[in-house]
Amino acid sequence: MSSRDAILARLRDNRPDPAAHALPPVARLGDMDASRARFEKSLALLGGQVLAPQEGESLSAAIARRFADAKIICSAVPEFEGTVRIEELGTPQTAANVDVLVVRAPFGIAEMGSIFLSEAQLPTLNSAAHLTQHIVVILSESTLTANMHTAYIERPEFHTARYGVLMSGPSATADIQGVLVRGAQGVRTLSVWWEQ
Amino acid sequence: MKVKPVNHARAAEAFIKDTPHLTFHDERLWDLRQKRDQQMHELPEWQELRTLASQIKEHTLANLPEYLEQFEANAKKNGIHVHWAADGAEHNRIVGEILEKHGAKSLIKSKSMVTEECNMREYLEPRGVVVTETDLGERIQQLDNQMPSHIVVPAVHKLTPDVAKLFAEHYHTDPNDDDPQSLAWSQRLAARPVILAADAGMTGGNFVVAETGSFVVCTNEGNADLSATVPGLHIATLGIERLVPRMADLGVFVRMLSRSALGSPITQYTTHFRGPQDGSEMHVVLVDNGRSHRLGMEDFWTSLKCIRCGACMNTCPVYRRSGGLSYGAVYSGPIGAIIDPTFNERKYSTLPFASTMNGSCTNVCPVRINIHDQLYKWRRVLAEHHELPFVKREVMNMAGRLLGQPKLYRAAISGTETALGVLPRFALYNWLNPWGKNRELPHPVKQTFHSWYKQNRLKTKKKGEDA
Amino acid sequence: MPGTGVRMKIGLFVPCYIDAFYPKTGIATLELLEKLGQDVEYPLDQTCCGQPMANSGCNKDAAAAEALFVKNFAKYDAIVMPSGSCAHHVKDNFDAIPQTDEVRHVRKNTYELVEFLHDVLKVDAFPWAEFPHKVGLHNSCGTLRALRTASMSELGEPFFSKPMDLLTKVRGISFATPRRPDECCGFGGTFSVTEEAVSAKMGVDKVRDHHDAGAEYIVSADTSCMMHQQGCAERAGVPIRFIHIAEILNGARA
Repeated sequence: MSSRDAILARLRDNRPDPAAHALPPVARLGDMDASRARFEKSLALLGGQVLAPQEGESLSAAIARRFADAKIICSAVPEFEGTVRIEELGTPQTAANVDVLVVRAPFGIAEMGSIFLSEAQLPTLNSAAHLTQHIVVILSESTLTANMHTAYIERPEFHTARYGVLMSGPSATADIQGVLVRGAQGVRTLSVWWEQ
Repeated sequence: MKVKPVNHARAAEAFIKDTPHLTFHDERLWDLRQKRDQQMHELPEWQELRTLASQIKEHTLANLPEYLEQFEANAKKNGIHVHWAADGAEHNRIVGEILEKHGAKSLIKSKSMVTEECNMREYLEPRGVVVTETDLGERIQQLDNQMPSHIVVPAVHKLTPDVAKLFAEHYHTDPNDDDPQSLAWSQRLAARPVILAADAGMTGGNFVVAETGSFVVCTNEGNADLSATVPGLHIATLGIERLVPRMADLGVFVRMLSRSALGSPITQYTTHFRGPQDGSEMHVVLVDNGRSHRLGMEDFWTSLKCIRCGACMNTCPVYRRSGGLSYGAVYSGPIGAIIDPTFNERKYSTLPFASTMNGSCTNVCPVRINIHDQLYKWRRVLAEHHELPFVKREVMNMAGRLLGQPKLYRAAISGTETALGVLPRFALYNWLNPWGKNRELPHPVKQTFHSWYKQNRLKTKKKGEDA
Repeated sequence: MPGTGVRMKIGLFVPCYIDAFYPKTGIATLELLEKLGQDVEYPLDQTCCGQPMANSGCNKDAAAAEALFVKNFAKYDAIVMPSGSCAHHVKDNFDAIPQTDEVRHVRKNTYELVEFLHDVLKVDAFPWAEFPHKVGLHNSCGTLRALRTASMSELGEPFFSKPMDLLTKVRGISFATPRRPDECCGFGGTFSVTEEAVSAKMGVDKVRDHHDAGAEYIVSADTSCMMHQQGCAERAGVPIRFIHIAEILNGARA
């Protein structure tokens, strides 16, 4: 017998009575506030930032101001040029040189300040989202969903994306004596730009 | 040769002697417990979430064969290669073969307790595969050649100077630089080239979704995403108990995992893998390694609900004062003490006794595992299987007999109204000896309650009756 | 007489370590119940509830003690004891012997002193009690998480505390709040000797926590915890005193 069949047979022999353990209906609990204010509060808690325009500033002007030293700015959105397009990166080795990556998230989750990215937003190179030093995420307020329950119930991406990441602020660690360090292995900062 | 039981008490004693490490360890984990409490207070539905999480997990475990088959079918449809491993050896062989087929000589991996169970690094390294842990805490433990001491914060028993020393040795950094920010930066700089050059990447999986054939990995550093997306080959090691039926069930679990573990609302990264990218390959290895056997243990199967948040460790007053390594096992703390004996009853026979059974672990468990009840039940099982030390068995047997015979019992304490005659000399001078090492004995008294009562109540009552 | 006026025939159980080391606690319990108008008897043939053997896994070795316990106490309306851990054993784990009607009666009607005063007698005043000291309340894990005589911090439930309800009826008493009020003190029965180092460390941390919060006394419904804590405090030189809740409620002034 293969290990597969042996494992399944043993599970069938040993399991508790399935009739005694019904599956509860899908839960839709918690605070249903899907506001931008709640999202921003959660985002701040997890170390993310809002890139706010100064007096009618465009996205590219705001990026130039915020990341003045950036040499390679990679764009994954049509309305912003940057110095290189994500499709042109080709390899992770090239992506590792990117200073700032600009992407658009299909939705955000107010409870967590999370944004979602998948291969649809990171064409040809999912690793670009983690190899870049900084990431700027364009997000529309209208795509905010209240919490994790509503996100999993409502968003089709969880069923269609082959790679789907919820990023909640930048990469972080507290593995050395409990001290919080933002920018561990992945992005050092994550900024949200609200779509006008 | 018989395996020797882990001497938790002795290891804990050594841990306690090092005051700076002990104090930090206790305070740090207590702080995580406090942060977890704050998060709980912010969610009025917390207890309802715990109940749901428990019900979903119990349902899934009772229907595990069907859900595993459903997962397998969907994962294959998505282009994932699915493997099954009955035990650690088979898991390691499967991973070794995948790597060999691709000519992969370097493997970067994120934290996975299952690969620790399997001793995978020890298997792969002699076969010419360089395995690099990419989680900072796990990497620290790898460099120090130690097991993780905690399932979420693997190097929580270390202080900054310990890390500075290790990094100086391996990364040639300044041994006197003990700033956590700069040490973490050193790890980033050291890890990047290894990640970029790796032939293969490996992750674990926090949740496995039957409905979609997906698995979910929760991390804070982004190292799992790097390990999975940079090389063209991703292998995920998944414990078979990690299944949930529906994608929407994740709402319940993701809301509680990081809140329970670290007191943060969510991990920085919650990543859903449903299939390989074009030009890449994705494998999952479904690992049993004793789980199907545990499912048949009436009193202990619910330990399979565990989502590895570590909340029981953070709250455990014994764990906080003994350190994870003192358990001598992959899983430490309260959850370890009820899981480890299923791997090796004799070796881990001491662990269910490394507890005061205070019950705090049960209260913080997000999936409502009755941890302290299981500790109590394990003690019975171990006693019945003769896995208790001889002296303890003898003392209990003797005490049991004495306490069943009031006249003998009274005789044993009469004449010595003072205290310690109560205890048979054998017990006192052998087994109970440690009491006085760091504690005073109770003060002797002139009269037991028993003789006070006879003197002050029975006599007066009789007088009353006479009158 | 304060309370509901219920009068019961009570069997008093005085655990072995209270009998031998802390007779004052046993006396206070008896006198207090008498003051509250109860008909109390102390069966002379009592020894132990069986807990030490059962908690060590040696459940079979607890059978003789459990059988004797039932023999001694089956005839009473209520069995009351100044010990949370013993009450927890009898109520929740007492299964080394066949569960006859007598055994079930004993288990169902066993009470830890505080829950008996609070829930059964519903005592609303202790006019004789005055304790002009700052105390730190230690809830043993048995009373807290098994008998549920107080709210548990891990669950975020609304605050309640039966021992605190009783103690606030004592004149002059004030309370210190330790940083970790729910933390186990590390006694744990045989744990205190098999895991001596951890046990003693937990004990000294516990007494320091109370002392740093300004407590002059640690008060508890469990003498076993206090026996351990007192041993730790004395060895470490932490100046704090210990008193059983029965003694305060019975009118002890110090």
